[in-house]
Amino acid sequence: MSEFHLTEDQQDCLQELINIAMGQASDQLARYLDTFVYLKVPSIESVAAVELIQTLSQQQNTMAVVSQGFFGYEGIRGEALLMYQEEDSGRIADLLGYEPDELSQDEQLIDISSILTTTFLNVFAGQIDNQMSYNAPKLLPSIQNSISEHLQQMTFNWDLALKVNINYQVTDYSFNCNMILLIPETAIINIKNVLDRILAEF
Amino acid sequence: MSPSVLICDDSNMARKQVLRSLPEQWRTSVQTASNGAEALTILRDNSVEVLFLDLTMPGIDGIGVLQGIQKLNLNCSVFVISADIQPEMQSKVKALGAKEFIRKPVKSDILITHLQQHGLL
Repeated sequence: MSEFHLTEDQQDCLQELINIAMGQASDQLARYLDTFVYLKVPSIESVAAVELIQTLSQQQNTMAVVSQGFFGYEGIRGEALLMYQEEDSGRIADLLGYEPDELSQDEQLIDISSILTTTFLNVFAGQIDNQMSYNAPKLLPSIQNSISEHLQQMTFNWDLALKVNINYQVTDYSFNCNMILLIPETAIINIKNVLDRILAEF
Repeated sequence: MSPSVLICDDSNMARKQVLRSLPEQWRTSVQTASNGAEALTILRDNSVEVLFLDLTMPGIDGIGVLQGIQKLNLNCSVFVISADIQPEMQSKVKALGAKEFIRKPVKSDILITHLQQHGLL
């Protein structure tokens, strides 16, 4: 946890990089849905690995989790989790406007998650002079323990989760989704160095 | 003579980015605000000629500031600098009187080109 203690300037810098990445991810989502997305300032918090598993296991109303791994240079890698709430499931289906037999709701969620995750991370990576590649996104089975099992089966040790709470309001609809980035220590150190480099330019 | 400038953004880094992108002779007469309410107070009490405005901010956002400027009938050139790049947002801010929409992160040459296009340089 202490590894990711950010100074006020580092936090401000990270928030701004995330705002820019969010803006472009929302623009992609808006184009995909052919609608307008209202943006709010996303809240960012870091959570220690142990705490996160506890918190997630206690969340009863999480409807679905889409998980996607990402890899960049210089030890930057991680897993992005997009978490949707139960009460939003119907809204997302309405929003996407797919015909019932066209794509299953699961496939819709995977589509939308992948757009958000890859656009977000591409823009974020661009700002820290990095470049990402991705694993295929997968939807975790909606059994109570599947998230904690999934987290424990990760191929790398992650020490910290960066939790970005994103709220999308799409004209008549609104849905919440949490984007959680699980990042190993090497990546954290790298990101902090990059933040310092950016800050030093000012 | 350099105009009186106000930079409004909730991020300190973003404010510095804008400041650094300004023409050098402008950088001495700059005020800053970290939210929409603060910006409106400064706009009301001072004669700000050029405003660089972020959109996504807690409390009164950039749209709120643009509406406030219209309501107070202030004569001030507004350049929106935002990460919310959706085309609909770009036309919305222009309809509310903004001179230009500039996407974040701001680049000095682009900012200066826009200032020249609007006869401010």
